[in-house]
Amino acid sequence: MTTADYSRLPEGFADLETLAQIWARPTENARNVVRYAATASDFAAFHETLFPRLGALLAYLGDCPAQPETAEQRNALMLACAYAEAAPHHELYGGSSEVPFSFDAHRFVADHGDVSV
Amino acid sequence: MQDTIAALDHIRRTVPEIRDELGIDPIPVRAIRDPEIYEIEKEQLFKKVWLKVATAWELPNPGDYKVKELPVADASILIVRGKDGKIRAHHNVCTHRGNKVVPNKGFETYGRARANVVTCRFHGWVFGTDGPLKSVPMEEAFGHLDKSCLGLREIACDEWEGFVFINFDPNPAQSLKDYLGDFATLFGGYPYHESTTAFRYSTVLKCNWKVAHYAFSEGYHVPTIHAGSLPGFRGIEHSDFKLIGPHASSTIYGAGMEAAPSTQVFAGVLHASDAHKPHAEQLPVHINPTRRDDFQFELPNVFPNLLIHLASGCGYPGLSYFTHQFWPLDHGTTLWEGINYFRPARNAAEYAAQVHVNALHRNAWLEDTATMEDTFTGIMSGAIDDMQLMDQEFLIRHAARTLDSYLAGGTQ
Repeated sequence: MTTADYSRLPEGFADLETLAQIWARPTENARNVVRYAATASDFAAFHETLFPRLGALLAYLGDCPAQPETAEQRNALMLACAYAEAAPHHELYGGSSEVPFSFDAHRFVADHGDVSV
Repeated sequence: MQDTIAALDHIRRTVPEIRDELGIDPIPVRAIRDPEIYEIEKEQLFKKVWLKVATAWELPNPGDYKVKELPVADASILIVRGKDGKIRAHHNVCTHRGNKVVPNKGFETYGRARANVVTCRFHGWVFGTDGPLKSVPMEEAFGHLDKSCLGLREIACDEWEGFVFINFDPNPAQSLKDYLGDFATLFGGYPYHESTTAFRYSTVLKCNWKVAHYAFSEGYHVPTIHAGSLPGFRGIEHSDFKLIGPHASSTIYGAGMEAAPSTQVFAGVLHASDAHKPHAEQLPVHINPTRRDDFQFELPNVFPNLLIHLASGCGYPGLSYFTHQFWPLDHGTTLWEGINYFRPARNAAEYAAQVHVNALHRNAWLEDTATMEDTFTGIMSGAIDDMQLMDQEFLIRHAARTLDSYLAGGTQ
């Protein structure tokens, strides 16, 4: 079994393709697998590289339909969603992959968890 | 507008009035601890009152159905939109020998009935989505079969603002309209149906349903429990108390949290959008009537097991409203359902921003749910006999008193 390649991003975002290969996944459940396994340094590296480019990435996505039409658009949205979910772990939770003092996240079931962007 | 606001003056309470009316004494935990009370709750409460089980926008087309398992009523129910557009509820029980007509997977199962009929997979009995038994294979072999009496068993079903409620009582003591009473006025008129993007989470908690319900029914815990996900949450004010028959409500005001840098960027996307920016003007006139700009959300308890937090984008960025529901599975086990509702994203950036807000709120729910099993263990240990409740926990006090009245065989 091979991991799908989600790294191909729109023109102008080549600097984020390594991050996309690591983090971009089409569903919340698949992104959770990556997030649960991440270390504090993984979260830090993600944030420090992507946050300065977040405005540009969202500006690009602002011109894309909510349900992307091309692989590049879709990969860009997957990367933005992964950052949307990972950023609090660096900014709020001290680099922990868990929410501190919380219920076991694995016991939360998301109805939409397998819905692809 | 002032006349309309004044029309609900009778439900408003000051803190001294709340104390006078509900008291300040500790509330016994026996209703949580005693398994025998759960058995009474099943019969006297959950099989008697109106319960929200679906939304109309989950079932947009004729033939769309939802099967919901409700162990608290020993029932599997089929909620379906008929060819005539009306949503009905039936026991998901074949009138032949009792098999489930529509098989389910988990607590909720969605599907679409082809040709507006559902067919039992056991022997092929066919029922219309509006209930009647349409056909029976080898009908002549039964000798006599009065199909007119063998339709799906109907359950009382009605809608308020697109929320679908059922009542297991064959002859409900009140209509849904009368049961909701002034709550329907207080919360009526908001365009709930426009917020069709739903992020739904659920989990099975090892606690009595009221422990979970009560944990989400007050704002007193916010600065402590949510120190991680709502850092620096400042100046929370839990006020505008209202008593509405069996229901009650209140308002959470506050300056909000110190938004992290990423949250500020994602929030900027939503706040720049006409669809997702704060819409205080869309709030029903009785909620945040002075239109304070630090309004976060309205927090009601729709007795017995539903919370609708109406925000209209004023609290969490872009979040229209969110609901909690608490379904007992047995005395010490609860299915919790939490749903965040947004208006549909118009582009991919708005969707990513909604994913961020949803993640923040999901994480706060993880902080909330962390307490529930420990609380139940503590109560079951026998170490305490009462809950000590402060003013901001009045929804709990009111719900406990209302429950007592139902357990005694009456209503609120």
